[in-house]
Amino acid sequence: MLARKMFRDIRFNLSQFITIFLMVFIGIMAYSGIRSYMYGMTKSAEIFYEEQNLQDLEAMAPNFTDKDIEKVKKIDHVKNAERRLTIVGNMDSDKDITLQMNFIEENEISTFYVVQGESFNKEKSGLWLDEYFANKNKIKLGDTIKIKYDGETLEEKVLGLIIVPDHVYDIKDESAIFPTHTDYGFVYMSINEFPKSYVKKQAMQKAGIDDEKIFDMAVKDFDYKDYLTFNYLLVDVDEDENKNYVKNEIEKELKNVLAVTKAEDTLSYATYQGEIEEGETYCGVFSGLFLFIAILSVITTMTRVVKKQRTQIGTLKALGFKNGRITMHYVGFGFWIALFGAVLGLIVGPLFIGNVFINEELEYYEVPNGRAVVSTRGFIVAAITVLVITLVTYFTCRKELKENPAETLRTQMPRVKSKNLNFTTKGIFKNMSFGSKWNLRDIFRNKARTIMGIAGVTGCCMLLVCGFGMFDSMNKFLDDQFDKLYNFDYKLSIKQDYTNEQYNKLTERFGESTSQTLMIEIENGDVKDANNIFVDNSKGYVRFVNHKGDFIDLNDDGVFVTEKLASVKGYKIGDTIKWHIYGKDKYYETKIVGLDRDAQNQNVKMTKKYLESLGIEYKPDAIYTNDDLSGVKEIDGIELIQDKNALKSGTANMLDTMKMMLVLLIVLAAVLGGVIIYNLGILSFTEKQYQFATLKVLGFKDKQIKKIYIKQNNWIAIISIIIGLPLGFYMTDYIFKMALSDSYDFGASIKMISYVYSAIGTWIVSFVFSKLLARKIGKIDMVTSLKGNE
Amino acid sequence: MQELIKFENVKKTYNIGEKSFNALDGADFSINKGEFVVVLGPSGAGKSTLLNLLGGMDKVTSGSIIVGGKDISKYNDKQLTEYRAENIGFIFQFYNILPTLTVLENVELVDSIVKNPKDAKQILKEVGLEEHYNKFPNQLSGGEQQRVSIARAIAKDPLLLLCDEPTGALDSKTGVEVLKLLKKQCDANNGENTVIIVTHNSLIAEVADRVIRLKNGKVESNTINKNPKNIEEVNW
Repeated sequence: MLARKMFRDIRFNLSQFITIFLMVFIGIMAYSGIRSYMYGMTKSAEIFYEEQNLQDLEAMAPNFTDKDIEKVKKIDHVKNAERRLTIVGNMDSDKDITLQMNFIEENEISTFYVVQGESFNKEKSGLWLDEYFANKNKIKLGDTIKIKYDGETLEEKVLGLIIVPDHVYDIKDESAIFPTHTDYGFVYMSINEFPKSYVKKQAMQKAGIDDEKIFDMAVKDFDYKDYLTFNYLLVDVDEDENKNYVKNEIEKELKNVLAVTKAEDTLSYATYQGEIEEGETYCGVFSGLFLFIAILSVITTMTRVVKKQRTQIGTLKALGFKNGRITMHYVGFGFWIALFGAVLGLIVGPLFIGNVFINEELEYYEVPNGRAVVSTRGFIVAAITVLVITLVTYFTCRKELKENPAETLRTQMPRVKSKNLNFTTKGIFKNMSFGSKWNLRDIFRNKARTIMGIAGVTGCCMLLVCGFGMFDSMNKFLDDQFDKLYNFDYKLSIKQDYTNEQYNKLTERFGESTSQTLMIEIENGDVKDANNIFVDNSKGYVRFVNHKGDFIDLNDDGVFVTEKLASVKGYKIGDTIKWHIYGKDKYYETKIVGLDRDAQNQNVKMTKKYLESLGIEYKPDAIYTNDDLSGVKEIDGIELIQDKNALKSGTANMLDTMKMMLVLLIVLAAVLGGVIIYNLGILSFTEKQYQFATLKVLGFKDKQIKKIYIKQNNWIAIISIIIGLPLGFYMTDYIFKMALSDSYDFGASIKMISYVYSAIGTWIVSFVFSKLLARKIGKIDMVTSLKGNE
Repeated sequence: MQELIKFENVKKTYNIGEKSFNALDGADFSINKGEFVVVLGPSGAGKSTLLNLLGGMDKVTSGSIIVGGKDISKYNDKQLTEYRAENIGFIFQFYNILPTLTVLENVELVDSIVKNPKDAKQILKEVGLEEHYNKFPNQLSGGEQQRVSIARAIAKDPLLLLCDEPTGALDSKTGVEVLKLLKKQCDANNGENTVIIVTHNSLIAEVADRVIRLKNGKVESNTINKNPKNIEEVNW
């Protein structure tokens, strides 16, 4: 019978209980949804890496010879090793498309996941193409594509569409950030397909012989295979814990090796992992907020229900119902609703949010068979939520349920400690209007309700600031990175093995605004951190800013490090850092003379002059220019032409997806604020009904009473806005700091106008809902309201 | 006649803010089994307090209350709950029926607390509500609601029926109907049932077996009505 009563009570207070249900549902849906997509990403990648045997180590060198590979295979714990020649060419099409070409001898490590077509076969002529790229560019199995490389043209049939575990995150250049799969992709071919004539040409060039006949005479029985170079080595290690050992051994054994990278440190692996961790922050912050609101709603709703049902509780007690059963009955309200919301959230979250997000993510990251997977943590959080809501319900009702029945049956009058309210009759308060005094006293009598009201509306304001603020911050990031720091239109990456002749031609055409990036290892106690040095000779094409965003110049007395790197590693100006260039043993000690700020890359910077003062030769690898190069696809000696605007729009694309989420956030903020105000409004309204009825009897007009009523909500809105605006900033900042990995450095940067929007938005939400509630004043029936309080 | 209830120097003190006041200030009286009792007194005399204490809804400050030979003033909360469930039927001035349960459900509610409840439908028929089983309380008149409340109390077949101003919110004609029902309950069960009515309407005293008058928390008089009138005989 009590169950039936509960069911009907819920029905009669539907809007209130729906709030609790919705908040628990949304909170759990968001949490389990986001968790399930993160867990799904983790799981599907784990399976992918495992089944396709992702390499454990990847080594880079100008060339890995037959002997080198034999040496590596002999190292303890090495299961297998294979080498690869990776170069970048251009696809022959009317669009500007770059293709990374990988020539391999076998495919036992980081094997192809064949979506369509056949698996790798060294003897087959043709290529295996990046499935994502093929999709975006509508290339089908059996099509023939042409790739240009340094004057050579390769024409190959597509034998298979593949996904490869070391190309999960694959971009043209580190400044591209976001893989679009439209203008960049990878292909794999047998090493047999590498143009033999090109090998010979290179060999002749190296030998300094122009005439082929003379070369043939000089090098008898020329076998092009002896002249092939392989710049990558993939190594399969038996157990994970032996990776470090093998890495050190390779560095020892092979003198010319530039870098040996563990799988988890590769860009592909680490970026994917970073993306997963990013979700964790959002997931925690937003779900937490919803659950917080759910708890607020439980407190307000249950307080109201229990207060309203005081006499019913008394009656049940008088009838002889045991306290335990009555408690169970009222706690049941919270428990069943939370349980229902949580279960539904657990089902809907992974099904919708989880799968939508994972599909969205796997549009960019190349992982097959992605599916949202419910994590145990989702269940645990759901269980905890139900428990917390139940407990909160219990504590809310406890006071009423503990009283003895005679007391419960008596109508409760607000307890007024006259002392506390005395101040409202003195000083500045003396001349306040009746309405203001009334509200002031009402607020002090109902502190808990007022505080909850402020908390809820503050939450709404914070979400609005956060929504608008993330928008601003990301736009600022775009502007900073692309307009402030990049003062060039094109960045040209120079080929590694360029000739002096090529270089001279380039500088004649574009001027000598260049830079070089050196891969280094910085020694920090026992640990060595991989990093890079940007050597600047760009003559203003690449700019640097300080903390405030003002332009600064590097100087020739030492190195600059980025602020974030300094704060993560604890570097200060005046400290010395010790580092060596990859592939070379010599250590340098350089003094930090300044800090600069970079949103996207955390590294070390120095001038060309300072580099040379250390006795290192400056060998530029990039040229900057403002010449219009649109439509230019190939420049002699240049590996990659990068258009700043293309980079910018690529990043802007990514931000567009986020904008959808932000709009959702802003809408949710409004709903949230509205729900809280409405909920508390109804609660306070029930409490005040008797007083309003009395005012009505005395002859107050509805309008006057409405004014008094709305006044209090306006005060709460104003206080909440004052608290919410700065807190919104901190929340946005926190999200950026937590969500982004160590390589990023951009905090919240919110425009004044966004604060104005948020404040107005909060106020409008508060005002609209207050107005809605105030309409009830007109409906107060004086007779029943007053009688009910007899 | 067998003595059922005995109040011995019962005091009940309420603290309101810094002041305290005695709602009952040493009340002494006794009531016999099967009596139809009316407790009279002006407002503030301690009538409701007396009823609450007797019904096990509140605890004495001092003194003792013996019901059926047992001192219920020594009972803890759990024992009091049991005492209420097994022995007491309450009828309130404002009926206190649960608004979200139907008429029938309100009466059936007691099925889950007592061992041998009476049949809910049968009782509703006896109080003349057989047409209204599935109505909600707000669809009923005041007199009908009070009858639901009586039906609920009777369904427990209680030893003691405690009524706090049962006719206070009703017009006189409906009031008479309600009183008749209460009297009927008192006479049922071979006259073993005891009914106590708290009221400030002295006319009701004319039909009572025993009249207790309270004033300022003390018993002013406790008289036995030798010739109680028939309910119809009273000039309402």
